[in-house]
Amino acid sequence: MDPFQNRRWVIILIVLSISLIFSIRLLYIQVINKEWAKRAEQISYLKENLQPPRGFIYDRNKELLVGAENIYDIYVLPIKIKEEDSLKICEIFKLTIEELRNKIHLASSGYNAPYKPSVMFESLSKEEFAKISPLLSKVEALEGKVKTDRGYPLATGAHLLGYIRRISQQQLDGFRANGDLFYSKNDFIGITGLENIYEKELRGERGDANYLRDYAGNKVETLDKNPATPGKDIYTTIDGGLQQLGEVLMQNKIGSIVAIEPSSGELLCMVSSPSYDPSILTGKDFVKSYKLLKSNDSLKPLINRPVYNDNYRPGSIFKLVQSLIALQLGVINTNTSVVCDKSKIGCHNHEPPNTLEKAIKHSCNPYFLEVYKRLILSKSFDNYFEESRKGLKNWEEMVRTFGFGQPLGVDVPEEKGGFIPNVPFYDKWYGKKRWAFSTIYSNSIGEGEIGVSPIQMANLAAIIANKGYYYTPHLVRRVGEDKTSNLIRNKTCVDSSHFQAVIDAMHLVVESGTGRSAQIDSVKVCGKTGTVENKTFNDHSVFIAFAPKENPKIAISVYVEYGTWGSKWAAPISSVMMEYYLKKELSEKSKLKMDLIKEAIILNPKSDFTF
Amino acid sequence: MTFGYFTIYSSSYSGFLLNESFWDNSYGKQMVWIIISIVLGSIILLIEGSFIQNSSYVFYLIILILLITVLFMPAVKGAKSWFQFGGFSIQPSEFAKLGCSLAFARYLSLINTRTQNLKNRLTAGAIVMVPALLIMIQPDPGTMLVFIGFVFVLYREGLSGNFLLIGLFAVLIAVVGVFFKASGSFIEVANLTVSGNLFFGIILVIGFFVAFLIIKYFVLPRYRREKYIRLIVVSIVGISISLSVSFIYDNLFKERHRNRFQIMFGIKEDRKGDGYNIYQALSAIGSGETFGKGYLNGTLSNDKFKHVPEQNTDFIFCVLAEEWGFLGCFAFVCLYASILIRMIMIAERQRSKFTRIYGYCVTSILFFHFMINVGMVIGLAPVIGIPLPFFSKGGSAVLAFSLMISILLRLDAERKVVLR
Repeated sequence: MDPFQNRRWVIILIVLSISLIFSIRLLYIQVINKEWAKRAEQISYLKENLQPPRGFIYDRNKELLVGAENIYDIYVLPIKIKEEDSLKICEIFKLTIEELRNKIHLASSGYNAPYKPSVMFESLSKEEFAKISPLLSKVEALEGKVKTDRGYPLATGAHLLGYIRRISQQQLDGFRANGDLFYSKNDFIGITGLENIYEKELRGERGDANYLRDYAGNKVETLDKNPATPGKDIYTTIDGGLQQLGEVLMQNKIGSIVAIEPSSGELLCMVSSPSYDPSILTGKDFVKSYKLLKSNDSLKPLINRPVYNDNYRPGSIFKLVQSLIALQLGVINTNTSVVCDKSKIGCHNHEPPNTLEKAIKHSCNPYFLEVYKRLILSKSFDNYFEESRKGLKNWEEMVRTFGFGQPLGVDVPEEKGGFIPNVPFYDKWYGKKRWAFSTIYSNSIGEGEIGVSPIQMANLAAIIANKGYYYTPHLVRRVGEDKTSNLIRNKTCVDSSHFQAVIDAMHLVVESGTGRSAQIDSVKVCGKTGTVENKTFNDHSVFIAFAPKENPKIAISVYVEYGTWGSKWAAPISSVMMEYYLKKELSEKSKLKMDLIKEAIILNPKSDFTF
Repeated sequence: MTFGYFTIYSSSYSGFLLNESFWDNSYGKQMVWIIISIVLGSIILLIEGSFIQNSSYVFYLIILILLITVLFMPAVKGAKSWFQFGGFSIQPSEFAKLGCSLAFARYLSLINTRTQNLKNRLTAGAIVMVPALLIMIQPDPGTMLVFIGFVFVLYREGLSGNFLLIGLFAVLIAVVGVFFKASGSFIEVANLTVSGNLFFGIILVIGFFVAFLIIKYFVLPRYRREKYIRLIVVSIVGISISLSVSFIYDNLFKERHRNRFQIMFGIKEDRKGDGYNIYQALSAIGSGETFGKGYLNGTLSNDKFKHVPEQNTDFIFCVLAEEWGFLGCFAFVCLYASILIRMIMIAERQRSKFTRIYGYCVTSILFFHFMINVGMVIGLAPVIGIPLPFFSKGGSAVLAFSLMISILLRLDAERKVVLR
């Protein structure tokens, strides 16, 4: 017999042991260790985010303020690049081989991977894309994807609309950390203005789709699809035409125009000057334009002055507030007469202010010094310092009911509130008992330490027009189909009965007083000029007004920096604005006025002049 | 009985392959090859066993000539392994296994051949080595490796078991050596930092020294001399292997090979480059989990997705693993093991020495294919291109394996005719 017969068992044993090892290994990979199954999912699933179109923004007449413009991003899929492609790509985009190599390296490292398409060129315009698209189809690794950027048919309201830009890594990480997974790289996000404050509504809701992909990343099978919900449109209270007119009037000037509909608090326009065409902050040139606006322009055109310039002193328009508070407290009445004593505070020559009406009409400074004195100091003269403290506290509280000294609640991001001087402030500044009425009297005529934003000034006009209350000014009426419920009525501390005298006086201001340049044919305008002292250059020109006198439709504030005095620039500007809004057109006279205003260049040669 | 057993298996396996690789072009071609295989297989079943036996050398010679001529053929994927005929191509190295098995069996079954005889051993070795070397030149290292399987046959026919042990030992040392080389690790011993490989070498020397001491003190004096000689041989072989591994690793291996080893030992994870194949393959297998995704429902290894490269040839096991899960794989492994064992039993029941040796040859070849292919796919062996018999796409392989099996069946059918 074969002596080696039993060796078969050794061989069988080897076969069995190998089989056993394989089985154990398979058991491990397939059943025990779930890691490989997870990796398989990563390999074969492709989750695609479906991006919703961003909502549009309309003005009060349903005119489109912000629409869409198609832009194109060029994506590259590094693993599909063939050798002969690189030359083609270089030719299409006019790159050197080195630059291309860098771009491909960027597209395959870090957050990007060679088997995933990533952006190589972003924000090509329609024309640029049309030029290269026939060439693009020859290179398999490249793909153009449409993205919608913002388009601005009216090219107006840059500040209030705000701008969007591609989300930064920091922001992205921030959102991720807060559990907001909406954004992905290269997405746009609202940075300022309405774009920012209504970001959540405008952006819509992302959809997603799950695919099975093949080795090259092609979608082979759709597993499920969950379409995106488009962003909601926003219907603003802005009058596009008025806004445009305001920007034209304010060109080559620094300042702002704010108009409010008193009966609702709706903001009709919010002009900040210098302004810029919002469309320059879109597309490929964003970075370039932004840099220009941000750091290469001493006039700081990016600042939305109506809201953020809250350190404007109101000047004489503040006399209206003083009068109303004084009437409410009964320290004066409409017939109070004061001598125009120029020893303490300067004034111009005018008829004696023997009534409140005349004092307002001529904007008599000594008169309001006396009014303020009566507000701050009671007649007892017991303790001068104590009296001043008490009086100021009381006064500050009353002034605050007019919406000063705190943000009004306008729907702009991070609204500023201005400043009404108060007891702690002076205590800190001068020290306790080291200040009294004689220290702070310049507040009486809206100078001193008072800081007010243009929107608060316009709101003052609206309060007077409404005889004692105001609706919180707002920019948005309707988001998508839902009406926003921001009609908040705020009451001032002054009874409505006291307003008539002030309104009559404001009418006189325009009829025959300091604000005659604000007259509009056949419309009764009530206004008040303000001239804010400026030590370095011309004084600032301020004007607030509302019209018509009965049943007012528009309240407005105009602030022109270095505008010399209130009636010189601010008053005519507001008349043109109000006339346009009330009559929908301008008379010949007003057109002339408009041309004059348009051509004026009012800049401070010492600090602002950049030409 | 066995006739039907294997025919059904071979065809059903092939049929299995068809469904698995459900793609027009290769599907059609494969079908043609299977039909050819069945037809030729059936014809072989009609041929007299002695004719097969007698024409072994002729067949072997033809194969050698083909293997030489194929070296002058244009290279496909870097290897000169194919004859192209229109749409079909033939890979002679697949048939070389068959030819080699026949010649090997023929030579060893000669009445005066003894495995204990050195000259006979060398001749038998040469029969295997010549085609193996020719295949190596192509180059096709995977197929070449299969020829190592003939060691099992020699073992069965009386080659000392020490050869197997030494082989195992050598493989072990080589694997550990490569591991240390690949990891490039440094080990700190008593403030001395030595490279892992040197450390391993020192351990080996110490091991031999300990073995020497054991022999000196525990083995009876009359056996000592013999054991010493063995120990010295083993030591020299061991150390020379470890040194040559080091040399080969540093000088002969290309970066690609080094990477593969590093990936295999889990020293390096490389999803994109050299580790891509195995990463994708393991993912596909892992995703099958216990019950699989169901027939044709694979999402990685399926032809539609192609996440696993070579998914219808070398990595076909992934398809099975993904679609049928662990249970399917386990059944497959059991099936393969039982076929191999069945073939050993068939070989063992022969009266003819030729048939027995031939049976073992076929078994060893199949076993090596199975071991290397599946081992590679599940990450236990380095990636080497080698098909899984009856599964992988490839006409020559199907035909060659079918012929091997049918010849074995034919010879088995005649087992009672032969006296010795």
